[in-house]
Amino acid sequence: MRSRNGNSFSLFAICSVICLSSLALHAGEYLVSYRYVVKDMILFNDSLQISHAMKKCDGKPDKFIELVDNESEDLTQIIKNNSFEFTNFIHTLGLDVKHNETTINAHNSSTTILTLKTTCFKVDFNDSLAKITALK
Amino acid sequence: MKYSMLLVAFLSASTLMAETVVVDTDKMKVAETKVILEYPKQTEKLDALARQLTSLENKLGEVTQAAQENKEPLLEKDKQMIISVLGQGVAPMNTSSPAQAYALAKRAAVADAYRLIAEKVKGVRVDGQDLIQNMMVKKSTIRTSVNAMVRNANVVETTFKEGLCEVEMEIVLAYSQFAQ
Repeated sequence: MRSRNGNSFSLFAICSVICLSSLALHAGEYLVSYRYVVKDMILFNDSLQISHAMKKCDGKPDKFIELVDNESEDLTQIIKNNSFEFTNFIHTLGLDVKHNETTINAHNSSTTILTLKTTCFKVDFNDSLAKITALK
Repeated sequence: MKYSMLLVAFLSASTLMAETVVVDTDKMKVAETKVILEYPKQTEKLDALARQLTSLENKLGEVTQAAQENKEPLLEKDKQMIISVLGQGVAPMNTSSPAQAYALAKRAAVADAYRLIAEKVKGVRVDGQDLIQNMMVKKSTIRTSVNAMVRNANVVETTFKEGLCEVEMEIVLAYSQFAQ
């Protein structure tokens, strides 16, 4: 016959395993790319591409952001709801700048393209908060 | 008698040899004097070069002094440099609300600020072409391009006035970021 202390320990171990596995189920890896074009000082086009990673991403965790997820576990929806915060976060990760300017007979036109190259993000959904961590 | 004739012949031959040796030494002396004569010319050249070198050193000193007076910023070891720029963006005409206009103008201004940072840090490629026909400029084209990767740039201040958004951005540069 087992003692009470032994039973409680095994119960705690089982509970912790269940909790950890449930937490692991709510984590995912996503590939995100972002690009926006400014033509003659006016925003011309911007596109944010998000997709589930088909294979495990390599890299170490870098900067992260926490967004309110409102019980939704779809990253696209979360980013749509918090697009301003997420684009600001993307800026801190670093963007490629390509700028071309042409002046023909004193008539000037310019195009600036800012791009976030496809980057892997690890997303943890926990307590109505989504922690989005860039993998470097 | 035979021996005496041989001795005389030997002596005459030896005297002849001695004369040639003397002639050779004379030539050597002449060569030495030539070297001595040329030496002053080379010293003059060296003096002239030294004078040129000192004048160039003086000019270099003047240039560095002028650069120090202008206080051109240089990224020194174990020091940081802050680059600050002011990007401008315009809101499009067909916006549904002033808030959308502000957001779009700010995005454009941030892109402009990024471009300015890239221009300052990495530089600009400039290509120009002028077409002149009958002594008149027919077409003048200037193309500039910037390619860079900017990270850790921060927005300091944003202002929006009469459809124009201005974003002040800065970036902190450290020597270690460029050391290879």
